[in-house]
Amino acid sequence: MCFTHNFWSLTIDGLNNGFLYALIALGYTLVYGVLQLINFAHSEVFMSGGFAGLFLTQWWVGSGTPGGAESIALVVCGTAVGAVTGGTVAFLLERVAYRPLRRRNAPRLAFLITAIGASFFLFSLAGKLFGRDAQGIPTLYGNGKLFSVFGGDVHLYDVIVAGSACAMLLVLDRLVARTKLGQGIRAVAQDAETASLMGVNIDRIISQTFVIGGLLGGAAGFLFGIANNVGYTMGFVPGLKAFTAAVLGGIGNIRGAMLGGIALGLVENWGVTCVRNSWRDVIAFAILVLILMFRPTGLLGERLGRSA
Amino acid sequence: MDRKFIVRAALPIALGAVALTACSGSSGSGSTGNNGGGGKKTYTIGFQGPLSGGNAALGINEKDGAQLAIDQANAKGDLPFKLQLKPADDQGSADGSPPAARSLIGDSNVIAVVGPSFSGASDAAGKLYSQANLLMVTPSATLPDLVNHGFTTFYRAVADDFAQGPPDADYLIKKAGAKKVFLIDDTTDYGKGLASAFKGELSKAGGKLAGSDSAPQTSTCIPGATGSTSQYPSEASKVKSSGADSVFYAGYYCDFALLAKALRNAGFKGQLMSGDGSDDSKYVQGAGAANANGTLLSCQCSDIASNPNGASFISAYKSAFHVDPGAYSAESFDVTNAVISVLKGLGSNPTRQAVVSAFASVNYQGLTKAITFGSDHNLKVQTAFLYKVVNGKITYVGDLSKLV
Amino acid sequence: MTVSEAARPGGPTRTRELLQHRELRRLLGWLGGGVLLAVMTGPQGVIGQPTYAISHALRGGHLVTCLVVGVVMWGLSVGWSHGRESVHAGLAEPRAQLRTAWEQPAVRRGFYLVLLALAIFLPRLTGQFWQGVLVEQIGIYALLALGLNIVVGFAGLLDLGYVAFYAIGAYTTAYFTDTLPVHPPFTINPFLVIPFAVLAAMLAGLILGAPTLRLRGDYLAIVTLGFGEIITILAVNLDSITNGSRGAFGIPSFSIRLPSWLGGWHYEWGLSSLPYYYLLLGFTVTILVLFHLLENSRVGRAWVAIREDEVAAQACGIPPVKYKLMAFAIGASTSGFAGVLYASKISFINPSSFTVSASILILVLVIFGGMGSLFGSVVGAAVVQWFFKYVQKNNGAPIPLIHKKLPIDVQDLYMYVGALLILMMIFRPQGIVPSRRRAREISMAEHGIGGADAMAAPVGSPTP
Repeated sequence: MCFTHNFWSLTIDGLNNGFLYALIALGYTLVYGVLQLINFAHSEVFMSGGFAGLFLTQWWVGSGTPGGAESIALVVCGTAVGAVTGGTVAFLLERVAYRPLRRRNAPRLAFLITAIGASFFLFSLAGKLFGRDAQGIPTLYGNGKLFSVFGGDVHLYDVIVAGSACAMLLVLDRLVARTKLGQGIRAVAQDAETASLMGVNIDRIISQTFVIGGLLGGAAGFLFGIANNVGYTMGFVPGLKAFTAAVLGGIGNIRGAMLGGIALGLVENWGVTCVRNSWRDVIAFAILVLILMFRPTGLLGERLGRSA
Repeated sequence: MDRKFIVRAALPIALGAVALTACSGSSGSGSTGNNGGGGKKTYTIGFQGPLSGGNAALGINEKDGAQLAIDQANAKGDLPFKLQLKPADDQGSADGSPPAARSLIGDSNVIAVVGPSFSGASDAAGKLYSQANLLMVTPSATLPDLVNHGFTTFYRAVADDFAQGPPDADYLIKKAGAKKVFLIDDTTDYGKGLASAFKGELSKAGGKLAGSDSAPQTSTCIPGATGSTSQYPSEASKVKSSGADSVFYAGYYCDFALLAKALRNAGFKGQLMSGDGSDDSKYVQGAGAANANGTLLSCQCSDIASNPNGASFISAYKSAFHVDPGAYSAESFDVTNAVISVLKGLGSNPTRQAVVSAFASVNYQGLTKAITFGSDHNLKVQTAFLYKVVNGKITYVGDLSKLV
Repeated sequence: MTVSEAARPGGPTRTRELLQHRELRRLLGWLGGGVLLAVMTGPQGVIGQPTYAISHALRGGHLVTCLVVGVVMWGLSVGWSHGRESVHAGLAEPRAQLRTAWEQPAVRRGFYLVLLALAIFLPRLTGQFWQGVLVEQIGIYALLALGLNIVVGFAGLLDLGYVAFYAIGAYTTAYFTDTLPVHPPFTINPFLVIPFAVLAAMLAGLILGAPTLRLRGDYLAIVTLGFGEIITILAVNLDSITNGSRGAFGIPSFSIRLPSWLGGWHYEWGLSSLPYYYLLLGFTVTILVLFHLLENSRVGRAWVAIREDEVAAQACGIPPVKYKLMAFAIGASTSGFAGVLYASKISFINPSSFTVSASILILVLVIFGGMGSLFGSVVGAAVVQWFFKYVQKNNGAPIPLIHKKLPIDVQDLYMYVGALLILMMIFRPQGIVPSRRRAREISMAEHGIGGADAMAAPVGSPTP
């Protein structure tokens, strides 16, 4: 009974979460594809996007109440600034922390530890610079109910998240499949050594991959912050969940990350209809373990090179 | 080959560290009863609370309150000795508590301790203080069980959760007109304690429990916490489908702000209420004034701004620390003053033992409340107060026990 | 480095040429580091004023101090890169002498004895604060780091949920000492709980490991992380079994009572730290010796083989899953053992001591000390935890070791830990007391021969 009671409203919440997970998960999966590295610092890329959007909107809105065209401009600019900041942080991260290791051909554990260290460093630095209390992004628009699906209300926020996420996912999918950059990414993911012999500039491709992941993560940071506030440790759980989602879909696989994100969002929210919310993570990780037992490389399998 | 050399280079450093440890350890306890400038002896009042980590704000409020009380007592000059404050950081956790307690116990100059701020930290340090015969007076740990753990030197200068939860339920049902309440706790010891105290009274007050849930603290609010921020929209769905007309949240302000935001976003229009953990202006800030307006908040802390005697405290606090007093600043100020009032009666050579035995019969009228203890080491008169968010400001409503 | 610089399409402009000058680039890098240092040691930011902290950090004497530090570091690094050869040459002689001395067992034995003697006598000179730290922060975490070292350092498996076994040990202790809402069939002293806790943790390790150790390294990391998370959530949510977040209170301390026919001798460890310290020292030394024997046994060699090349190891007849499982179980039981010590020492446990952050802290200790180096784990725990507590104890006061102008705020500890990890991985990936074998693996991997962990091929590919 509990399951059917508010199934549709939880489905809508789940899709909302799922799209955000998918956006973040792509950052993990892209980097994993080209470097076979779990970039734990990606959650801080996400956080930086949230902060950038927060500061922009705080400065813009001041104490007013925006409406109409201004609301649209605010959401678009906030997302764009979040994305650019995320991309910049991701770029610097690769340049400062990972490239020296790559030059030395360091073991993979060293990369992982660096990622954890960068994550610690970035979130504490944000806490130091911007204060340690979570802050709300000012009200950008009236979050009215738009329509209902079988009794589940769909709000403007849900549409904004779903719309912008779908747009970004589509663009990325085409980008990887069709463009020269996408070809390069796939080539490096498949076999970096051969790719470099074929004249692909690996350093540049890796940098660009980080930036693309950062753009998506930073945008997700702002979209997430609109409803859930912005704080220096905000990236921890979304990052963890998005990584889970990436693994769920098959890490290194772009469509897998999208699928994994949405699946995880839905399953989590359906799961807590019948049990307390505090069991949410148990559900998420139990699903993960179950799927890995039967499909050891995730729902859609691993390789980025073969994804498109 | 390189490595061997470095092994040897590293060892002296490690040994040096151990030696440093040894030195700093002994110097800490070596400065017993040093003479202050005016020929008076200097004694120390310790403070234990979170000065770093996720709950540092509360600990810093309390530390500053204690510091102000001590500065004022020194300035007055009617004590036979000088006082100073020694803060010890326990990060508000059970892990950090014993080291913090030992750093105070190990300093023989410390004759009383204000704190710990949190219940878990109190549980982890209680035995140590008891064994050292060192007075510990908490200004804010509200878990009812604490006084039953056999801590001989522990006093709780704050009303416990039972002073807050049951009257909250009474008020919500009888005065605020709620009928079906959805109860959410944040899975911390504080949240669960308050929720169960609230729940016990709810049916007696004639209300119905529409549903209950546990939503762990989120990482946006508490570093290292593992609750999903995205849980609040689904929480709102649950609340709406349960048909509840009001929500009681047992937890802290930052997560309450996220919950309030999600509830209002989902179109929930009912009454919101929470306890002292949420009684902070950052709740309004985080939720947005429009979402927070109308929220009822109860607290064992009285509103210092509306207190007729509070003005001089507020201005002194502001000039000393450049911020307004926060939650529990005034309580900590009162507790420290109560300790000082006991020290006054003990002459120029107070001992830990003497402080503990004299404190049992303390009778001090503070800014916020009268501090006298029953034989259970709880306050004799336990009071809680009610606040309401009006136009984005937390405003004082009244004494809860008189309102219902 | 120079090769790739040459390969870069260089513009003809003068600034560009200048920027490509090696020393200048390095100076700019160090100056950038100086600015970063100024921000790191600057004032705490204020909510609502995003530029406050940065603008106040980057002004006046503070910035100058930090830039001077940057320039000095640059000078040192230039000096080092020029004088490195001669320093090495100058040190070659004494180093060789030390090495020959070290190779004599008597010298080595003597060295360890002196160290042991210091470990026995030095704590007597400190106050109770540091004695407490030696037990609760250093000793117990050294044990945990030793156990994790088996998993991460020896077998090369990344376990991010290691603290779960610690929690299992602690809660088993709480159960058998009757401090949980569920009552045990019999109540025993924490001493006697040790075998139960070790067994419980080992079982948990096997249950977790059996299905997951077939997964590749990265998958293992997320699954163990999830497992750690689940254990904490269980501890919080199962109120009627674990008492939820209120935790278990009143776990007794260790005590020994010999039966009356043996004289009825009785000893209780009580609340003071020193007796616990000696107990812990005894355990740690025992475990160190045991693990050292293990390292050089057949099992240890199998771990090395799996770590360096799993496929080749399997081809040589080493069953990887069996040995990985063994590492997992040994690590888990050490962790469970540490849990008993912790629960009985603090006498109060709640789930907040067993979070993901604790797992990562233990990992940091292992990395810092040196992966695969047993002695390194102990040194890592001692140095890092000592530093944490030292900063915490001197909260607000400037640290005498560092210039007064660059104080460390306790709230920023994790920032320094993060920076330390990044710098270590760049400059000293083998840790402060590296294991010889690991160091060689890392340097071999740098030259493109073999891997240095059980996580398949190294990241990326050799840059041209």
